[in-house]
Amino acid sequence: MLRFEKRDKTPVRLRVLVPICSVLLGLLVGSIVMLFARVNPVRVYGAIVKGAFGSAYTFSETLVIAVPLILISAGLCLVYRMKFFNIGAKGQYIIGAICGSYLALFGPATMSRPLLLTLMMLLGTLGGALWAVIPALLKVYWNVNEVIATLLLNYIASYILWFFMYGTWRDPGSHGFPLSKNFALNAQLPRIIAAPSRLHIGLFFGVAAAVIVWIIIRKTRFGYEARVLGENERAARYAGINVVKTVIIGAVISGGLAGLAGIAHTSAVLRVLQLEINSDYGYTAIIAAWLAGLDPLVAIGVSVLLAALEAGGYQIQIVMRVPFGIVGVIESSILFCLLAGEIITHYRVTLTRRLSTPLALDERARGGA
Amino acid sequence: MEGQEQLMLVMGNITKRFPGIVANDHVNFELRKGEIHTLLGENGAGKSTLMNVLDGIYYPDEGEIAIEGKRVNLRSPLDSMKHSIGMIHQNFMLVASLSVIENVVLGLESQGFYIDKKSVAHQIEAIAKKYNFRVDPYAKIWQLSVGEQQRVEIIKTLFKGARILILDEPTAVLTPQESEELFGILREMKSEGKSIIFISHKLNEVMSVSDRITVLRKGRLVGTVDTASITERELAKMMIGRDILFRLERKDIEQGREVLTVEDAQAYNDRGTMALNKLSITVHGGEIMGVAGVAGNGQVELAECITGLRHLVSGHITVEGIDVTNATPCTLASAGVNYIPADRLGVGLVPNLSTVENAMLRKYRQQPMCRGAFIDYGAACTYADGLIEKFDIAVPLKNAPVKVLSGGNMQKLLLAREIEENPRLLIAEHPTRGLDVGATEFVRKTLLEQRDHGVAVLLISEDLDEILMVADRVAVMYEGRIVGIVDAHHVDIAQIGLMMAGAVGVKA
Ligand SMILES: Nc1ncnc2c1ncn2[C@@H]1O[C@H](COP(=O)(O)OP(=O)(O)OP(=O)(O)O)[C@@H](O)[C@H]1O
Ligand SMILES: [Mg+2]
Repeated sequence: MLRFEKRDKTPVRLRVLVPICSVLLGLLVGSIVMLFARVNPVRVYGAIVKGAFGSAYTFSETLVIAVPLILISAGLCLVYRMKFFNIGAKGQYIIGAICGSYLALFGPATMSRPLLLTLMMLLGTLGGALWAVIPALLKVYWNVNEVIATLLLNYIASYILWFFMYGTWRDPGSHGFPLSKNFALNAQLPRIIAAPSRLHIGLFFGVAAAVIVWIIIRKTRFGYEARVLGENERAARYAGINVVKTVIIGAVISGGLAGLAGIAHTSAVLRVLQLEINSDYGYTAIIAAWLAGLDPLVAIGVSVLLAALEAGGYQIQIVMRVPFGIVGVIESSILFCLLAGEIITHYRVTLTRRLSTPLALDERARGGA
Repeated sequence: MEGQEQLMLVMGNITKRFPGIVANDHVNFELRKGEIHTLLGENGAGKSTLMNVLDGIYYPDEGEIAIEGKRVNLRSPLDSMKHSIGMIHQNFMLVASLSVIENVVLGLESQGFYIDKKSVAHQIEAIAKKYNFRVDPYAKIWQLSVGEQQRVEIIKTLFKGARILILDEPTAVLTPQESEELFGILREMKSEGKSIIFISHKLNEVMSVSDRITVLRKGRLVGTVDTASITERELAKMMIGRDILFRLERKDIEQGREVLTVEDAQAYNDRGTMALNKLSITVHGGEIMGVAGVAGNGQVELAECITGLRHLVSGHITVEGIDVTNATPCTLASAGVNYIPADRLGVGLVPNLSTVENAMLRKYRQQPMCRGAFIDYGAACTYADGLIEKFDIAVPLKNAPVKVLSGGNMQKLLLAREIEENPRLLIAEHPTRGLDVGATEFVRKTLLEQRDHGVAVLLISEDLDEILMVADRVAVMYEGRIVGIVDAHHVDIAQIGLMMAGAVGVKA
């Protein structure tokens, strides 16, 4: 018989070991499914690892995917702690990409590269922040559920992108495809290692953002207020915490980072605005944030792992001609095992049997005592 | 001494450790058939822990449990239920939006998908009738008073066939009349051969209701005694290991200026009905104003209005002459208004944050904890240490969530935090609810000390004895207004009782 008891503190050893074992277990479960699909799991995993970490190039491509995940999940770690359930990172990412791209496409062509890029990043951040502030305002003033509001805003953002891509922003030379014209060199965020790698300086933004958010949560007044608010709103009000202000600042940070992720990825990796700008990173980052226990530094590692699955997944699809569905199966079995592993890190699970302590009970039951 | 057939339950050598503390240290406990057995001990002595072991919530690190001579292994509340153990927890475990019927059958295995509401309702009514009380099976929990909810809990356990009933501080939230009714129910159960474990800090109740008393101190068993063979004073000594003052010394001090004035206050409660009905009251510095009244007559709302947690529809509140009507809690904090709410974990403390983070809740904007945008957690820790030391709070681990503190120590922490701010006006709502005699004495002494320092104290309590013991004047509240104010030194208790029931309105 299994028994669960909540732990007060998780030993560091477990916090490292459990996720590793969970991933391994997930791989095992995934391979069982693959056997049924008559695919050799060893070869598939080999291909994934090779596809994700096999060479400097593939690893850098993994990091390319990890960058937006790191940026977005850092912000989510903060807002989820104040129980503002922003699931609209996707929309904020898109709006960020649109806002930043505006400068890239229609800004003054003569502007120096650093200045233009700085402005683009700022505008993208601002756009994402704005897109997150809307549901925050709706929540604090009219008590509108932010889960629904942010979700719906994702759709609106997608359609705004459609509107521009099929409208005025479409490159006349694109043969009718919904593409903007290519970004000029001035508007391309620098990549940091030689081609064909697309890894860009957004990686530094991501790591910096994670560190800063970690400091905000752990060391600052605002982070303390956010945590108090998330745990007990009435106590927060009694403590004199400005609920409206705190939620809005949180939304700005989280939306801003998602917007930054959107414009950085568009400007450095895609170098063109198009319908498909990988905005689903906004959903993957939600998983990264929760799996990381809302710790932005841990979220860096989780983001890389999730990115590796994704990058390796493309690889097996292309090289091994395995249906992409297999990737989904592997991904979900790993996620499932990681979530199950969470239980072990938060609860003490024991196999109960009769306790063997020698007892005064026998005498007492016999009527001694 | 006695044959085992009389023993309902034996717990032997129970040990339960938590990080930083041994909550139960080789505790032995036995319960006879048809007895009311009180578990007594200071806050944090390990009473709730021991009972949670019996209810299958915690699994002991060592020790064994036998029911009617047979060893049992209790791994979950469901297991305990199967062994006819039923527990009514310190905080009720009812689903507010569900009806009485639904709550009663919740988690019952024998009940299939379909609930035969009619038959359950009949059974509920039958149980209630047997013990001479009434409950509407179709009522939703949120519509019931605390006392009624408790009865639902009792019915729930009886419905599941409990023969061992554990009540963890059931009277802490009851009025004296409600407590008496509860004791009636318990005695009736006892006469049927059910065994009852009762936890309370109120020694007079313990003396009147129990057959035997087991005392715990700091996780260890002190002993089990027959109630008939011991006095309250001896009990208290057993519990805390020293003599205790049952009388408080009060100095005669000069009453100061008006600190709090509330004029014609009107406010709604959460359900949207008028809770304060043109209420007016004045409290002076160096005075403890007791507010007596049956729960739900606007006391909570009054406190919330004064502390800025509830909006006033009309009327005025001033503190030391400054208008603070509908001011923010922040403004009120700088005006020197401090609050010890009845709902500790709901308003006063943040359950999942640590003791340190809770201790700094009202101070984090000030030096030395605040350094610009940053917080100096080292300074916060030092500050918390100061509070813990000065107010003698038992905190096993400073960085563990505050919710694992025992009820009494939570209250001490809250009190310490608020007093340490040097209030001008202190609003204390049921400040000794759930506290052991030692801690109760401590809290009352602290309130009197504050008064002696010229602080205006508004003491809201349902415990008339407490009010009469510490207050200078008593205001009686009924249906959102003060129906009378009397001098606490020359009172007619019968008259206060009548005023509380709304029978007379006297202005003094
Ligand atoms: N889940 C837990 N984790 C860590 N420590 C705990 C936990 N539960 C209780 N404790 C600690 O064990 C000790 C005993 O707590 P318990 O709640 O049993 O006391 P109690 O006798 O019921 O006190 P009170 O009269 O205040 O309710 C306390 O010091 C408390 O802080
Ligand atoms: Mg307790």
